[in-house]
Amino acid sequence: MPDKLYVLNLIVAVIFYLPVRKIQASQVTQGVTSYGVLFGLSVLSEPLPLTPESLSVSINSAKQCLHLQWTVHNFGYHQELKMVFQIQISRFKASNVIWMENYRTTVTRNQVLHWSWESELPLECAIHFVRIRTMVDDARIPVPRFWSNWSSWEKADAQSSLGDHPLYVFPKDKLVEEGSDVTICYISRNHQDNISCYLEDVLTYGKQLDQSVRAFELKNVSFVRKTGTNFYCQGQGVTEGVVLFVSEVLEEPKDFSCETRDLKTLTCTWDPGDDTGLIQMPSYTLFESFSGKKTLCKHRNRCDWQVTQDSQEMYNFTLVAENYFRKRSVSILFNLVHGVHPVAPYNLFPKNVSATNATMTWKVHSIGNNSALLCQLQLLGEGKVIQQHNISVRVNGEYLLSELEPDTEYMARVHCAYADHFWKWSELISQNFTTAEAAPSEAPDVWRDVMFVSGHPTVTLFWKPLSKVHTHGKILSYNVVVENLDEPSSLEVLSVPAPANSTKVTLNQSSYQIHVTAHNSAGPSPASTVAISGHPGNENVEEGRINGTEDGFPMSWKPQSRNATGYVVEWCDGPQNLPCVPQWRNLGPTTTGTVISSGAFRPGVRYTFRIYEISTKRMARLLEKKTGYLEELAPSYNPQVVPNNLTSHSFTLSWKDYPTESQTGFIQGYYVYLKSKAGEKCHRGFEKTVLPDNSVCCKYTIDNPDQKTFVMKDLQPESVYEFLVTPYTSAGEGPLDDFRKVTTPDEYSHILIHIILPMIFCVLVIMIACYLKSQWLKDKCYPDIPDPYKSSVLSLIKSKENPHITIMNVNDCVPDAIEVVNKPEGSKIQFTGTRKSPTETKGTKPAYLDLLPTEKNYSGPGPCICFENFTYNQAASDLGYCGHFPVTPQAPHCQLGPLTSPENLLKTLEQNYMNSLGEIPAGEANLNYVSQLASPMSGDKESPPTNPPEPALCSEYKMQMAIPLGLASPPPSENSSLSSTTLLDPGEHYH
Amino acid sequence: MRVRVVPLLLVLHWKQGAGSPLPITPVNATCATRHPCPSNLMNQIRNQLGQLNSSANSLFILYYTAQGEPFPNNLDKLCGPNVTDFPPFHANGTEKARLVELYRIIAYLGASLGNITRDQKVLNPYAHGLHSRLNATADVLRGLLSNVLCRLCSKYHVSHVDVTYGPDTSGKDVFQKKKLGCQLLGKYKQVIAVLAQAF
Repeated sequence: MPDKLYVLNLIVAVIFYLPVRKIQASQVTQGVTSYGVLFGLSVLSEPLPLTPESLSVSINSAKQCLHLQWTVHNFGYHQELKMVFQIQISRFKASNVIWMENYRTTVTRNQVLHWSWESELPLECAIHFVRIRTMVDDARIPVPRFWSNWSSWEKADAQSSLGDHPLYVFPKDKLVEEGSDVTICYISRNHQDNISCYLEDVLTYGKQLDQSVRAFELKNVSFVRKTGTNFYCQGQGVTEGVVLFVSEVLEEPKDFSCETRDLKTLTCTWDPGDDTGLIQMPSYTLFESFSGKKTLCKHRNRCDWQVTQDSQEMYNFTLVAENYFRKRSVSILFNLVHGVHPVAPYNLFPKNVSATNATMTWKVHSIGNNSALLCQLQLLGEGKVIQQHNISVRVNGEYLLSELEPDTEYMARVHCAYADHFWKWSELISQNFTTAEAAPSEAPDVWRDVMFVSGHPTVTLFWKPLSKVHTHGKILSYNVVVENLDEPSSLEVLSVPAPANSTKVTLNQSSYQIHVTAHNSAGPSPASTVAISGHPGNENVEEGRINGTEDGFPMSWKPQSRNATGYVVEWCDGPQNLPCVPQWRNLGPTTTGTVISSGAFRPGVRYTFRIYEISTKRMARLLEKKTGYLEELAPSYNPQVVPNNLTSHSFTLSWKDYPTESQTGFIQGYYVYLKSKAGEKCHRGFEKTVLPDNSVCCKYTIDNPDQKTFVMKDLQPESVYEFLVTPYTSAGEGPLDDFRKVTTPDEYSHILIHIILPMIFCVLVIMIACYLKSQWLKDKCYPDIPDPYKSSVLSLIKSKENPHITIMNVNDCVPDAIEVVNKPEGSKIQFTGTRKSPTETKGTKPAYLDLLPTEKNYSGPGPCICFENFTYNQAASDLGYCGHFPVTPQAPHCQLGPLTSPENLLKTLEQNYMNSLGEIPAGEANLNYVSQLASPMSGDKESPPTNPPEPALCSEYKMQMAIPLGLASPPPSENSSLSSTTLLDPGEHYH
Repeated sequence: MRVRVVPLLLVLHWKQGAGSPLPITPVNATCATRHPCPSNLMNQIRNQLGQLNSSANSLFILYYTAQGEPFPNNLDKLCGPNVTDFPPFHANGTEKARLVELYRIIAYLGASLGNITRDQKVLNPYAHGLHSRLNATADVLRGLLSNVLCRLCSKYHVSHVDVTYGPDTSGKDVFQKKKLGCQLLGKYKQVIAVLAQAF
């Protein structure tokens, strides 16, 4: 092979040199020349080309680099030559060339050459082969130039040192810059194993490079965390991984500047930008080109530089920031004395602080050889700089601050700069101090309120707190000196502790001057004087009206005296119905008008202003009184209207209780609204109007605010009207939502009233009379013993059963006995006896004549005697019965149903009779009737009145009637007793 | 792989030559400790084991959380307690045997914890919470080791115990350091529970 190449070179040389070098051509054609002979005629005579020798390849796993090293021999007479080396790199096998590069360099004799190549694939994952050839690339060597032969392939095998672990992942702990691409690979010893790989827990797919190697290309990697990005592969029972450390791009330092605080040390600062995100921080190095010194900075944003003693003033600094990937630098030119930033002064104190002056002292740190500093002393009050002074200081600073306010807190602060060349103030230091107190500079503003009680004036003095500008300290008390002008020796002194702003003084009818002073720890203020007359002044002045504006209440007045020393306007902030704390304003003697404004003024509230003139003797005299609203509002409520004098054609409305002074505006009058259901036309004086609810009504305007009655006329009788009275102010009328109804009466109703009322009266009189004369009336109209001839029973009997039955004439009867009744007065009215208990009437024992045989053992409870008249037909029962029997609520006595036959009637009558007898109450002893059939009650005489019947009429009328024999009842029992000896048939006697 | 001597472990022993394999002292040999042993040694040992047991799980969680993904979600693959050369422990042995085994385990854990602490200070320089927990655990382990040796010495006259240590991680790559630390702490959590139960 070298022989062939040699021949080829020879042919090329012949072709190239033949036209110009005949001699040489002849030599070639003779075929006797050699390579050395050929070039012996030119500059070089050594055999070329030169072949690289001793090629060795090593692996740098940390940087994933192949490192080549070789030598070139046979330089001949040359010490150095420019050469180009062509390098080929193959992967997995020699024929798989993945990289070829020409490396040009100047080679010296016996030099060992180096060249590195960084692999994107971790070198551990593949075997690499490298070969190299060379060519002279020196201008001294004429063309043509020939490549040398290739060196033999050199093998770079990192896998051989891995060991026998089943799985490897590479590269280990690789450091990459954010945004770059990274290739990760694994080597699996077990080819059958199914291996999965994850980037931060995300399954990643790679490319199979070999039977046991798979590569994963990670594009544009991003920063995850400082501790690195984890990548791991998991095979059969084995897990391996790597950590990628991703760095953010190193930024160029910004705002690089230097300064010195003492001309001994320089401090350079900069903004390093964002953190690169690596545990390994970038390094910062400071170079100074004039001195050639450099220092490695200990901080990433600051570096200190010691100033040398050789009076170097100018510095050319270069700051270099460097990390694994990049290097950034910035430079500045710096003059030492132009960058002096003094250290803050210290020990700032006030001394000799009085009410208006204070001396401030402080110290500064010396710079260089006691260079002067320019210090600025600032005085701040309430946060604002009120004084500022510049003082030149070497060591100690001092300055007298004057024109201070007493009892005021100030802040003094100071900072300093290099006097020779101002560049930057030092940090400020500050100190607070308070000036001493001084006596108040102004008299308090005093006003008075005079009330005359029993002819004696009681004065309430009010004063306003002094402003902070005038107090000059804390007000401790107010002294009030009352001077009786009529008795000059009489002085009364009151001390009112602060913060009171009023006091009350009772005076007699003399004239007084009252002096008020405010006191603090330094002394009293000038006195404020008011004069009080012992007699009431003229308070009866005409009250005018004023209108409020946005600015307040503008008012003016006419001076009445040329000697006025001033004027005072007095008012109350609150509504008139609330207790008043007087407000006042002092005005000069030439002032005849002002605008009173207050934050307390509210729309719709009436305010009254009194304007006083102050005389030379400090006496106040009322000049004018003005009333007004800041802004009038519509009335908020309507008056309570009372309708009266209601007739069929009119009624009167009245609202006399409506107060006009406490309204939300000046009441200018009233609107009277009238609505009628009939929709009549409006009466005279009314006008038709439409209400907000679109209803139509009539409206009457009363333009006199003092008129509080109104007569509605010309109304229709028996009609319903709705009315409303609402006041109105300049701002509008009151609410229209409270209509009241009124109905006009009938036209003749008054006539009816004139008749009905007397009738009712008469009826009442009659009823009262009847009540009082009830017994008499009863006797006349409804006696206890009715007239048989008037009985309806009789008519019934006659008409139906027995027309021959006649009423027994009393005159035809021979009385069996005569009973004389000694009737006591108390038992005259038997009806009232129903309310008496048996015991009450027990003592009333009747007196009997022994005309009738009576049982000895009879001791019945009462001597009631019944008269029984059987002359009545039994059919009478059909019409009813014994309506005058005593009635008990428990025992119904009407038995209408079964009384259809004579037997039933008889039984009924018997029963009723028995009941009637049995129900005669014991003790009802009033006897007023005599009957031949009268008998005492049977069966009751032995039984106690456990269930006393209702008190009943003591005299009973028993029906008497002729009873057929066949209908006779069983004979009476032995216990039965008869009181009458005259019987129709003894066997038919019933009780 | 066994590393017999780790310089970091020198602090764990107060005897010169600590770190090298220590044979069990013959029973009749004299045994002396530098400091007098407290009377309630076993109580202290139990309390220290309980203290370690109560904090082991939280230390484990703190560790694998600080390593980032995929550690928290692949504990079985990356943090499984498959530490092959971990000293054995037999809970049914005599007290002496158990104390000797406890000594070996504590020595092993102390060395490994030292490696983990060193690695994490480099890899996680800002994980101060993890660092302080690792240091606190190492402190308790040192105290426990001292107490166990006191007990062995005072009662059983044993002053030297042959110990082994885990692999030195200083030459390993970062992923291996993270994984080995996680595996060790997983094993620690597991074995300290057994030890606390056994004493």
